[in-house]
Amino acid sequence: MKILEHEAKKVLEESGITIPQSVLIRSPDELATHLGSLPDKLVLKAQVDVGGRGKAGGILMAEKANAMVTAKDLFSREIKNIPVKEVLVEERLDIVHEYYLSIAVDRSTKHVLILFADAGGVEIEKVAKENPDAVRRASLPLIMHDVPQFMVRDLLGIAPKELGPVINQLYHVFQKKDALLAEINPLVTTPKGVVAADAKLIVDDNALKRQGITVNRDLSEREREAERFGFSYVELDGTIGVIGNGAGLTMSTLDLIEYYGGRAANFLDVGGGAEQERVMNAVRLVASVPSVKAIVVNLLGGITRCDEVAKGIISAGVTQPVIVRLAGTNEAEGRGLLAEKGYQMPDTMEQVVKAAVEMTR
Amino acid sequence: MIFGDKKTGVIVTGATGNQGAFHIALMNEYAKSVGGSGVVAGVTPGKAGQEVHGVPVYNSIRDAMKEHDAGASVLFVPAFAAGDSIMESASAGLSLVVAITEHIPVHDTMKAISYAKMNDCDVIGPNCPGLLSPGEIKMGIMPVQLFKRGHIGVISRSGTLTYEIVDELTRAGLGQSTVVGIGGDPVIGQTFTDVLARFSEDRETKAVVIIGEVGGALEEEGAKSAEIPIVAYIAGISAPPEKRMGHAGAIIEGGEGDARSKIDRLKAMGVPVASRPSEVPRLIHNLI
Repeated sequence: MKILEHEAKKVLEESGITIPQSVLIRSPDELATHLGSLPDKLVLKAQVDVGGRGKAGGILMAEKANAMVTAKDLFSREIKNIPVKEVLVEERLDIVHEYYLSIAVDRSTKHVLILFADAGGVEIEKVAKENPDAVRRASLPLIMHDVPQFMVRDLLGIAPKELGPVINQLYHVFQKKDALLAEINPLVTTPKGVVAADAKLIVDDNALKRQGITVNRDLSEREREAERFGFSYVELDGTIGVIGNGAGLTMSTLDLIEYYGGRAANFLDVGGGAEQERVMNAVRLVASVPSVKAIVVNLLGGITRCDEVAKGIISAGVTQPVIVRLAGTNEAEGRGLLAEKGYQMPDTMEQVVKAAVEMTR
Repeated sequence: MIFGDKKTGVIVTGATGNQGAFHIALMNEYAKSVGGSGVVAGVTPGKAGQEVHGVPVYNSIRDAMKEHDAGASVLFVPAFAAGDSIMESASAGLSLVVAITEHIPVHDTMKAISYAKMNDCDVIGPNCPGLLSPGEIKMGIMPVQLFKRGHIGVISRSGTLTYEIVDELTRAGLGQSTVVGIGGDPVIGQTFTDVLARFSEDRETKAVVIIGEVGGALEEEGAKSAEIPIVAYIAGISAPPEKRMGHAGAIIEGGEGDARSKIDRLKAMGVPVASRPSEVPRLIHNLI
């Protein structure tokens, strides 16, 4: 789950990293009570979780004198269709130089990857492409308590030594917060010292509970409902609802729909042990999306009980046609139940998908 | 054979839970049918003295190993305890852990894999269906009726999609030497590269199917290292970026790891890539 900028900055501050002086406001009026304690030059940042926030008009400069007007302007905006509900009002930093620092999980090495670049404030992928020498990297196993000093020296290169401590401080944030990514971009030097001008933190969804996070904000309403049932669910933009067991098989069903010229409306992985109630909830959830015109159920597995699946599909009682591919134990029984009610049951995954695509054309 | 054979004794951790007990029965049913050792002991802390489908349960892996000859463990413990269980297996001297458990925090996995490596213990998974060498050994949850002994190796990040493709292979008369589910998490122990290295030294295996999906670059890294003919299938060509497609590891991040560019890179290396699961047998026939 992505952590919003102001929350991420608070986490950095707790670990000893300097952040800009700031207040978080939920309305322009709230700013009035804080103005006295703020410096003259300000920057107002919408707390919305979108990439390219600055370009989309989510960051505005202001002087203390016109800050109220600017705040009203920002609160009236939508940034990439997301309304602005919170604004972080920060001191505008006197920047000497911008750097880039990130710590992430590296799938290839199974270790932690630390990236440091002499150029900050821009996309790191771009820097890596245009000026590969400006990006330095270090890999270390997560079982290490600290980043060794030689790695800190290697990462910094000719950058000022005063940046060094931030690397370990951010590594400790990464460890403590079960992070998949901890990023400061830009990390800036100012006449007053080193400051994290922006911050990004992504927490492992599988660790939310022990991090004390109860609601995964990255999920939509329907995705959250699916999560309560124990389903993996993703919304897409087509007309065919897709239910499968196992992420790979379900993804492959989506791909096959595209291969035959259709488009899936969603992806629902019902998981293992698909008994009647689970299947019923899955079918109803997928059918509740208004754009769904037909539903494909693709269930394969030795331990899936086909009679349970069939009962689940029938008891869901949805209006859209449901086309079923079933393989597993009690297959004949399951097929019998569905046949009685007139369901289409092709033998293979390809036939099921073809039938659904034709139906939605 | 890779990873194990009929003689390999297996310890199941999380033996007294629903999943653990259910799959002990199925693994031993299979072991009986092929004349293998099967599951020799179960482990659940605090449950020593119990039996699960005739298999004795111990408090720790060390206790189990005092009484039984075992070479691998299969993990069914809950996510919060799974990292710990991987390390316990490695510490007790097992050379292989198959971690079936899903939803393990990735930091736990990273630490456990590092620790296992220091103890010369290989980890398959987590979040995987385990492995099956038809006619020899089953360590995990794969449905045996779809499999047939033969000379095709399979390595996959998925569970049911593996069964789909194995079913296609079996129907086409292409039996399997060993089928390995390496897991759907972002960080996994054995990768395509590791398992391909084993297959290239396995006399039973003539060609390998790699079944990948969106996220990361493990498929390309594996293909680059392969010293045995391979065919690939990559799921997720219709997956939108930044969305987790069921598996924790199936996500296109920062514009990287999408299916189209994976397929293009594999094809550039000369690897035949199936556009649908049903195409895999034909591509294998072309190779051998």
